[in-house]
Amino acid sequence: MSEIKPSEVTTVDGGEEKDWAAAKAFFDNLKTNKPRPPKPRFAVTIAVSSRTLFNMVAERKIYEEEGVEKYVAHQVEHESEPLKPGAAFPFVQALMNVNSRLRELYPDSEELFDIVLMTNNHAQVGVRLINSINHYDLTIERFCMTGGKSPIGYLKAYMTNLYLSKDSEKVTEAIEEGIAAATMFMPETENELSDTQLRVAFDGDAVLFSDESEIIVKQHGLDTFFEHEKEFENKPLAQGPLKCFLEALGKLQRKFYAKNERLNCPIRTFLVTARSAASSGARVLKTLRSWGLEIDEALFLAGAPKGPLLQKIKPHIFFDDQMFHIEGAQELGTISAHVPYGIGQKYHRGKLIEQPAKKE
Amino acid sequence: MVSTIQNTDVKQKDADLAVVVAVTTRAVFESADDDGGDVYGVGVAFPLLQALHKVNERLLEESPAESLLFDVILITTDDEQQQQCSRITGSTRHYGLEVSRFCFSSQEDFTESLLKNNVQLFLTTDRNEALRASQNGVLSALLDQQLASCPSEQLRVMISGDAVLRPDTDPVPAGQKGAQSFSTQLGQMRQKFGIFNSPLSIVLVTLHGGRESCGDALRTLRSRGVSVDEAHCLAGAPRGPILSVLRSHFLLCDVVSCLEE
Repeated sequence: MSEIKPSEVTTVDGGEEKDWAAAKAFFDNLKTNKPRPPKPRFAVTIAVSSRTLFNMVAERKIYEEEGVEKYVAHQVEHESEPLKPGAAFPFVQALMNVNSRLRELYPDSEELFDIVLMTNNHAQVGVRLINSINHYDLTIERFCMTGGKSPIGYLKAYMTNLYLSKDSEKVTEAIEEGIAAATMFMPETENELSDTQLRVAFDGDAVLFSDESEIIVKQHGLDTFFEHEKEFENKPLAQGPLKCFLEALGKLQRKFYAKNERLNCPIRTFLVTARSAASSGARVLKTLRSWGLEIDEALFLAGAPKGPLLQKIKPHIFFDDQMFHIEGAQELGTISAHVPYGIGQKYHRGKLIEQPAKKE
Repeated sequence: MVSTIQNTDVKQKDADLAVVVAVTTRAVFESADDDGGDVYGVGVAFPLLQALHKVNERLLEESPAESLLFDVILITTDDEQQQQCSRITGSTRHYGLEVSRFCFSSQEDFTESLLKNNVQLFLTTDRNEALRASQNGVLSALLDQQLASCPSEQLRVMISGDAVLRPDTDPVPAGQKGAQSFSTQLGQMRQKFGIFNSPLSIVLVTLHGGRESCGDALRTLRSRGVSVDEAHCLAGAPRGPILSVLRSHFLLCDVVSCLEE
């Protein structure tokens, strides 16, 4: 049985199998050749919000300025007009491409990406969302439209491997519950992305790894950080919020390697870190090795800006914990996702942020 | 023999316009750890009754002369319960439940009682009772143990998206008429409230089908005047974890097979 799901999976009960069989029968009977969604316990589940999948900036404005009733009425009025693609759209298309390749090689496997639409939206807005999904022919068959309620419980119910949203509060809550999550940002310009390979870039500290070393930098400075990393080179770092997602990607990659497709693998991962190779890079590579994880390309910037390099890499998504790097990436056309985790949240451009009084 | 008693503590609803909901006494009152006292313990359907009451309260707030309200009756479905007349009425008064009538019937004649009282929805924890009522043409829904932890401030009704038929299916099979008219009435009640802070939430759940089924169901329900609040499309994903987050009070389903699942 696959171990793509990080959480414990309990034994399958008869009811679950019945539901699965009924759904299978339903999809097999459809006149179209639509692929049926995979069994959640074996799949890599990616939950995307409606505002990351589609560009709803104008609609959001109506919600904020005129209230929910006008917003819903507007959506219903325009429900035959497909929404424009949002920040997560290229990522979702890349996931679909990987699924096609996986289905070719492993026609009976359930180890695929499962894309779930997880939105706070009212179900009446759902008709426009469904119409838009139909328009682009996206393979999204599962969704939760919670009508205003928190999606966190549903994220857990779907054993979500990654949650993408525009709402940083929901993302923070998800991370606190142990679910890999990030807040998405649309770039100012758009780089042309690969349509044959899913490319995912990760920052190291406080994304793949814990923020333990980040804390040393912020509190004791770079020199102490270098000494510390050299001294503890052979001690693996603790894991960060996105480690399990990298792990899930790795498991799918190995399915391609097993069929001699390493050179033609439709998934490529990148580490883009401010660490330098000479002084603090070894610990990172050794940690990944100790976890049994591979990363395809590791780029050590030694403090140089990430934007220009990412522009060359052209990932479908880039995860970083510091808004400074997110903004730099955005400016040069990279779709970025902020991971609100660790000590980096208390600093902006190296300075400690004054914490505002908590909103009541 | 069936007998019906009015609850004089509660204002009677307009028989023609109210939505009559019958709940079994076994669901409402707990008799497991029975000490034989005057008053029963609280059963699994308590939050449900409170939620129904909340809807009525809010409907009357919007319009004091409102007649489209829930008319809740308690019904006994076996000989043992049928004998507990004073204990049932006493417990109802004790908890201040908004129950307008009591029907004391037995296993043999409870379906007759349902029909006589023009019950539009029968709620029970017993699957066999639900099946029997359904076979006799009364819309029924099964209550489960999870009900005890459902909210009492909002009535959450689940509608099965797999079973919602398109308007062009003609004629409507007898069993489905009940579900369709009940959901239409729910839709009318729902319209009296705004999007947020409604005491009634209608939740569409598609267990087997995908987005196509769900989209169709949303449009079909809308054409019947039912504006759904939440929509969940599972496409074969395990229902248990999702349903336990949803916390709906009961599932409204067009087909008898829902009760058999």
